[in-house]
Amino acid sequence: MNVKPGLWLFAVALFLGSLSHTPAIASVDLSAGIRHISDTGSLSDCSAKAKAALETYLPGAAESSPGSGEWFAMGQNIATGAASSGATVRCYPLAKGYVVTFVCAVQLPTNPYGANALCLDIAHKFYGGPITPLAAMPTATPIPTGCATTNLVGNWGSDNDPKLTFNMQLNGDLTDNEGVSGNWIIDGSTVTLTYYGNHTLKLSPDGKHLSGPGYNLTRKC
Amino acid sequence: MTRISRRRVALLAGGLVVAFGSLSTRAPAALDMNVGAAKVVQSQPVSACNNAAKSALDAVLQNAVELGGDTGEWLAFAAPDSANGSTAAAAINCYPLAGAYLATFTCAAQVPPSVDSATALCTKLATAFDAGAR
Repeated sequence: MNVKPGLWLFAVALFLGSLSHTPAIASVDLSAGIRHISDTGSLSDCSAKAKAALETYLPGAAESSPGSGEWFAMGQNIATGAASSGATVRCYPLAKGYVVTFVCAVQLPTNPYGANALCLDIAHKFYGGPITPLAAMPTATPIPTGCATTNLVGNWGSDNDPKLTFNMQLNGDLTDNEGVSGNWIIDGSTVTLTYYGNHTLKLSPDGKHLSGPGYNLTRKC
Repeated sequence: MTRISRRRVALLAGGLVVAFGSLSTRAPAALDMNVGAAKVVQSQPVSACNNAAKSALDAVLQNAVELGGDTGEWLAFAAPDSANGSTAAAAINCYPLAGAYLATFTCAAQVPPSVDSATALCTKLATAFDAGAR
């Protein structure tokens, strides 16, 4: 094949870049089929139980229109900031009692449990039955602070020159006490500091000291 | 740096920009769910509901199945796309009433990549159901 070498480089870069953000396979999981018939009770009885059962697992259950007996609620994955679970409980009055159906949906793998598990728990909460604890929703990763020793974010001072300080930012930028900017990157305990050239430094096991040729820095917490 | 190697570096950089540039444009996928219509159809047996439910789900999604056999609970998923699994699904519930039946529609979609919201999906299903129930 007669392809210019530069085009190969373009293709290789495109391929490598695409590998870094190939999304995880995600899909909708839907559970239906749970239906309960009560020979006693009114539509409002069903609605009260539907709202309570939904709100045990999902926040803010709402009726699709007032008096309809059709309830739904959505759950948000805090880590992604998007809805990843939802359920509907629909009540319909019969001559005697009511019929209620349960349908649940989750987004996998974002949601830590499946739609069947959610629907079984909501249904069992409604009409009684074994409750299986659902996996906990992941919490948001805390933003690193200046005193977290697992990264470089925060303020650092030079051991060799007391006037020289650095502020290292979350995005990999750094700024010294005179406003001169540079960059930092960490790979394990190896730190590359781009500041008047590239410098390879080592982060101490306690995360408080950076040392290498030309620079010895101590974290200011 | 020679002219050729400068050009190669530029192409490499261009490739990286194209590859990584899409990172900032990817919207987070969210689950969308819709409590669709609830229809009471008079003077029709529940079997008519079952037929219309299967027909509508097969037309809008694919491979409709009745859960458990003769339950009136129908479920179908959209065809999986190349990057994801099924990104849309719906359930139609048929319940017999005295001389009539009740049909309810519930839909879910992952938006993006699903082009249809859950509301749009349920609207399509209800239309297809009505066409099949005639």
